[in-house]
Amino acid sequence: MNVFRRLAAQWAERYRKMSIQMVLSLSFTAVAAAGMLLMSVSLIWRFSAVNEQLVAENSRRVLAQANLNLDSYLRRMMRISDTVYYRSIKNMDLAEDDLTGDLSLLYEENRDDLVSLAVFDGEGALVSAVPLTALKRDAETADSDWFQAASQSMENLHFSTPHVQNIFDDPDYPYRWVVSLSRHVQLTRDGATEGGVLLVDMSFSGIEQVCRDVTLGSGGYLYLIDGDGELIYHPRQQLIYAGLLEENNRAAAAYRDGSHQEKFQGRSRQVTVKTMGYTGWKLVGVAPAESWFAASPQLPLFGLTLLLFSIFLMAFLNFLISARISDPILRLERSIRELDKGLGGVKIEEGGCYEVQRLNHAVASMVSTMRHLMDDIVRQEGEKRRSELEVLQSQINPHFLYNTLDSVIWMTESGQQTEAIQMVTSLARLFRISLSKGKSIIPLADELEHARHYMNIQQIRYKNKFTTEIEARPGTEGLYTLKLIIQPLLENAIYHGMASAEDDGLIRVTAYREGEDLLIDVEDNGLGMRPELAASLLDEDRPEVRTKGSGIGVRNVHQRVGLTFGEGYGLAIFSEPDEGTLVRIRLPALDREEAERRRQGEEL
Amino acid sequence: MKTEKSRLIQIAILAALGLAAALSLALPQLLRGEREPQLLSLTVLLRDTDSSGWTVARQGMEQAADELGAELRFLTLAAANDGAEQEELLLREIEDGAAALVVVPADPAALSAALAPWLVVCPVVTLESPMEGAAGVVSPDNALLGQELAEALLEDWDGGEVLLLDTAGRCAGVSARLEAAEETLAAEGIPARRAEALPEEPPRWVMAFEPSVTQRTAEGREAGGRDFALYGVGSAAAITAQLERGNLAAIAAWSDYAAGYLAVRRAVNAVRGTGGALGPLPFFILREEDIYAPENQKLLFPIMSSSSR
Repeated sequence: MNVFRRLAAQWAERYRKMSIQMVLSLSFTAVAAAGMLLMSVSLIWRFSAVNEQLVAENSRRVLAQANLNLDSYLRRMMRISDTVYYRSIKNMDLAEDDLTGDLSLLYEENRDDLVSLAVFDGEGALVSAVPLTALKRDAETADSDWFQAASQSMENLHFSTPHVQNIFDDPDYPYRWVVSLSRHVQLTRDGATEGGVLLVDMSFSGIEQVCRDVTLGSGGYLYLIDGDGELIYHPRQQLIYAGLLEENNRAAAAYRDGSHQEKFQGRSRQVTVKTMGYTGWKLVGVAPAESWFAASPQLPLFGLTLLLFSIFLMAFLNFLISARISDPILRLERSIRELDKGLGGVKIEEGGCYEVQRLNHAVASMVSTMRHLMDDIVRQEGEKRRSELEVLQSQINPHFLYNTLDSVIWMTESGQQTEAIQMVTSLARLFRISLSKGKSIIPLADELEHARHYMNIQQIRYKNKFTTEIEARPGTEGLYTLKLIIQPLLENAIYHGMASAEDDGLIRVTAYREGEDLLIDVEDNGLGMRPELAASLLDEDRPEVRTKGSGIGVRNVHQRVGLTFGEGYGLAIFSEPDEGTLVRIRLPALDREEAERRRQGEEL
Repeated sequence: MKTEKSRLIQIAILAALGLAAALSLALPQLLRGEREPQLLSLTVLLRDTDSSGWTVARQGMEQAADELGAELRFLTLAAANDGAEQEELLLREIEDGAAALVVVPADPAALSAALAPWLVVCPVVTLESPMEGAAGVVSPDNALLGQELAEALLEDWDGGEVLLLDTAGRCAGVSARLEAAEETLAAEGIPARRAEALPEEPPRWVMAFEPSVTQRTAEGREAGGRDFALYGVGSAAAITAQLERGNLAAIAAWSDYAAGYLAVRRAVNAVRGTGGALGPLPFFILREEDIYAPENQKLLFPIMSSSSR
C-alpha cells in the first residue's frame, strides 16, 4: 500500500513539473496505446478462437476421411474373412475337401495386405493355413487373445492390437507385426459341425499406410488406439515402445467423439477423437496449441508491427495536436513571466483556440490596466513631490520678504529714498515674476530677470560686498525654464560664499545652450568647499538641517528639475576650498511650443 | 527550457516507437534464419566389419537424425576391432567436416588419446564402451549386465565349469561385463575360465559378452549339434531367433532402437550445446518363454517396417 502511495506521490510530483504539452501528449498517447493494445488483444483472442474452431473442424474432417479409409481397409479384411467363411468353410466338409486351395487363392489376391490365413478347430489345432502351413512346436494357439476373443464372442469379428505373429514356424524368423482378425466359425467334418476359429492376419503396414499420410497442419499428427487406449498406430510408435516418448493415449480412450482441450507434458493441445464404428478403435488427432494460436509465426509479429506503427502514428499526431493546443498557452505563460521580470513592452499575443484567446485577451487587458494605473501612480507621486517642493520653495519667500522690507524701512528712515525705491521696485518685479500667473515654466529671460532683481535687493542689503554678472549667451533667446531655480542657488551663494567677502565678491550667472540642453551656471568666488561636501549636497539621503545655506534649497531645485524633466537633468556642483563654487543647472532646451505643451500637461 | 526538454523527450519516444516498429518488421527475417538450423553431418563408425547386427540401432539413429536435422554416414571397419583403422577413419571424418561422431570404440583408451585435440570441436558419443573426453556414452550398465547374466546362469547351473568367452580385446565395455560375470561366479564358488574362442569340446556352460560372438556361438552350437547352455547378449532378430530355437538359454537384451536414437540425439545436442548427461540404458534378461510378452515384443521387434520417415 505504501509503495502505491509513494508511486502516486512521485507521479503527482512529476505531473506538477510537466509542461501542459507533455501532459496532453503523453496522456493521449497512453490512452490511445492502451486502447489499441486492448483492441489487439481482443482481436488476437478472437482470431485464436476462430482459428481453434477451424483447426478442430479441419481435424474432424481429416479424421472422418482417415476413418473412411481405415474403415474401408478393415471392411476389405472382413470381406476376406466373410469370403473364406461363407464361400469355402460353410460349403466344405473337411473330411473330404481341402480348404488350402481356397485360402491360397484369397491370399494370393491380397498378399500385399495379408500375412497369413488360417483355420483352427475348437481346440486350437491347425486345420488349414497359408502361406505357412506348420505351427511352431510350442505354439499355444488356444491361449492366444485372438482365439479366446473369437471363442467367447461367437457372433462378432475381433480385431487384435498389433503384435508379432508367433505361431507359424518360419525358418526366416521374420517377426512380422500383424493385426489379427478372428471369428468363430462352424466347421463341417464328416457331416458333423464343430466350432473353430478363422484367423486373418493383416499386415500392420496396411493400417500404417492408411494413417501415415494423414497430416493435421503444423505440428499435428494422428494416432490410433483401441477401446482400452492400447496404441495401434502412432507416427513415433517405436519411440514410445522404447520408452523415449510418451503419449496421452490412455486418457484419450476416455474422450468422447469431438474436440477436447488437454494439457500434456506442460503443453496445451487440441485433441479430436473419432470412434470407428465396428472395431471401437479411436482415431485421435492432435493439434498443438501453437498451430491454432499462430497459424503462421509471422502473424503475431505482423500484428505487433501494426500495433507499434499505429502507436507511433498516434503519438506523432498527439504531439502535433498537443503542441497546437498548448503553444498559445506556453506563449502566454512566457509573456507573463517576462512581465513578472519587469520587462517593458511585452506583447500578449491573442492566438490559439477560443478559450485561450479569451484568456490572452483578459490578461492583455489586465496588463494594460495595470500599466495605466502604475503610470498614474508614478505621475501622481511626481506631482505630489513637486508640489511639496514648490511649497518648500515658497516657504523661503516670507523670510526674504521680511528682511527686504526691514531693509526698505531702514533705508527710508535713513533718507536713502532712491535705494529704497529701487529695492521696492525690484521686490515688486520679483514677486510679479514669481507668480507668473501660476505657471511653473517661464521664459529664461524672466527667470534671469527674477535673479537680477533678487540680486539687486541682496546687494543693497549687503552694501555691495559683491558684484553680480548675469549673462544670457546667444542661442538662448526664446528658451523656457522652470521658474525660481536660480534664486535658491544665488541665496546659497550669498550665504555660503559671500558672507565673508570684502567688497570683492563676484556672483556670475551664465545661461548658454549645449546641444539640446540649456545650461545655467551660478558661480561665485567665495570660500568654496571640499568636493566631497559639494557632492553630498545633492544627496537625497542627507538629513535636512534647516540653517542658512544648508543646501536644502539647492537639493529642492535639483529634485524639482529631475521630477519635471526626468533623469539626466538637474544640478551639478563643482567646488574647491578658497576658489569658489560652480552650480550648473542642466535643463532641456524648451522652445515656446514645447513649454506650452508641458504647461498643458501639468494642467491635465 | 522545459519546452525544449519536452520536445527532446517526444522525439526520443517517437524514435523508440519507430525503431521498435522497424525491428518488428525485420524480426521475421531474423527468426527465419534461426528457425532453419544447418543440417549437421554425423559419422557413425562401428567396430565390426558389417552393420547387419546394427539394423535396428540404425533405424533409431535415422529417426533421431530426421527429427533433429542431421544426416548420417555409416562406416564399418575392414577388420573387426581394428583400433588403428578406427582412429584413421575418424580423423579423416573430422578433417572432412563431420560435426560429431558416434562410435563403437574398439580401443577406447587409444581412441581417446588420438582424438583428444579434436574432442572440443567435434564431439564424440560412444556406444557400448565409455571413452574419456567423450560427450556421452550410450550403453547399459555393463558391470550390472554381466552380473545379472551370470545370475541367470546360476539359476540353471547344476554343476560343471563355466567358459567365459573373452573376445573383447581392448573394448572396455565388453571387458566390464565379463569381469562382473566372472566375479559373480567366483563369489558363488562356480569354476570358470576364460577362452578367446569356443573349444572343440566346450564345457556345459558358456557365456558370451558381445552380440556378434553370441550370434556366432549360437549358430555354431546349432550347426555342430553341440549341447551346452549358452548365455549371451544382444537383441538383434538373429539372436532372438537363436533364443527361440533353443540355442541360447538366456540373453541380456536392450532396445537397440533406443540406443541408436539416444546416441544421435546426444551427439546433436553436444554440437548445439544443449541437453544433459545420459543415464545407463535399461536392459533385461530374456529367456525363450518371455520373447513374445507384449512389452518384450515392443522392444525386441521394432515396428518400423515402413514408418521410418
